[in-house]
Amino acid sequence: MGTPLDLFAAASAEGAWTVGEVTRRARAVIEAGLPPLWVRGEVSGFKAWRSGHWYFTLRDKAAQLRCVMFSRENRLLPAAPADGMQVFTFGRPTLWEEKGEFRLTVLELLSTEQGGLWKLAFEKAKAALLKDGLLDPARKRRLPPFPRRIAVVTSPDGAALRDIEAVVARRWPLVELVLVAAQVQGDGAEASVCAALARLGPGGLDVDVVIVGRGGGAAEDLWTFNSERVARAVAAVPVPVICAVGHETDVTLCDLVADLRAPTPSAAAEAATPDQADVLVHVAHLAERLARGLTQRSQRVLDRLDRTGDRLTGAIAARLERSRALLTAHGARLDALSPLKILARGYAVATGADGRVLKRMAQLPAGTSFRLRVTDGAVGARVDGSGEAS
Amino acid sequence: MDFGKQLERLEAIVRRLEAEDLDLDEALKLFEEGVERLRAAREQLTQAELKVKKALTGEGAGS
Repeated sequence: MGTPLDLFAAASAEGAWTVGEVTRRARAVIEAGLPPLWVRGEVSGFKAWRSGHWYFTLRDKAAQLRCVMFSRENRLLPAAPADGMQVFTFGRPTLWEEKGEFRLTVLELLSTEQGGLWKLAFEKAKAALLKDGLLDPARKRRLPPFPRRIAVVTSPDGAALRDIEAVVARRWPLVELVLVAAQVQGDGAEASVCAALARLGPGGLDVDVVIVGRGGGAAEDLWTFNSERVARAVAAVPVPVICAVGHETDVTLCDLVADLRAPTPSAAAEAATPDQADVLVHVAHLAERLARGLTQRSQRVLDRLDRTGDRLTGAIAARLERSRALLTAHGARLDALSPLKILARGYAVATGADGRVLKRMAQLPAGTSFRLRVTDGAVGARVDGSGEAS
Repeated sequence: MDFGKQLERLEAIVRRLEAEDLDLDEALKLFEEGVERLRAAREQLTQAELKVKKALTGEGAGS
């Protein structure tokens, strides 16, 4: 027989712990020993209180864990979990002293219904991108209307490149396509795509738009484009990026970060380029407007010229009228002064052989022949020598 | 001049010609420039041929 356990050796008012003390101590032990962690389990007994807080139990075959998720955290979730749902929770194990209950204070909750761990990783990366503002709609840049050079980050022998080439050649052959070869699936794809995208950075290839993508494939093969590292590389490209991973249903992280998401590489090529047929129509329209613009302008100038011409003609007519009147007046005066008028009054004019008018006696010595002009003609005459000065 | 800039200038010329009270000299000058730009833009459009080149494979960019 061993010594019986002396249960009461420490039994005294001083030696016994209070409930409060032991629960507080237990809580400290739990919180120090179990840092925040991810717990996977099935939801049961879910209840949302009016306060907005959620209470439920996580369980598996072996055990259960009481959980609380406060409204501060759960209002960020799209929906409440249903009983029976498998979930991942991230929370802080603790002890609720008031009820002496071990429980998990849940900070994040993810359904594992679709995609499981993939989804979990996706959501985690997405949350990190969101926190850094990389999913902000305001970050989305407009695509240039007439790109000069488009970089295509894809596999050099995939269907994506051929599709893009065909669409661009038809729509906008003015552009130069620059293939930046990258491995888009399998081991090393992440690093390869990141390296290709990094070449489009400042001081790298000079392009206006980037198309990053690949043809269709299984959802697992899309993983490269769900990598947080690749998504951050997309966000770091200084020109607009179109993401085209050829999958209609799954939206990848790269899709979320890119300036535009296209369902297929062909659609990306369409989004990146104008259609030359449309542009030709626009150019023809501009040509019309140009011609019409000039015609209108010249018509306005011609109208003004016409008005000025009218005024000019009026001015000249008045001026001519005045001149004519003046001319008539002058004519009358001239007429009065005409020598013919004087001859008509009975005077005569003597002119010498040289046609000069003979006005003085000295010009008319005896025997000089001269002509005498009278009103109706002229006669020859000779000086007979008689005469005296007056 | 690249096509986008060409078209932008052409649109600006047309707008000025339509909206502003320019004298005939200026309007003519603009018109002439517009015609030249139209010609160049049309030529670019009709003579274009898609160029595809490969960026030289740098480190980590191989497939």
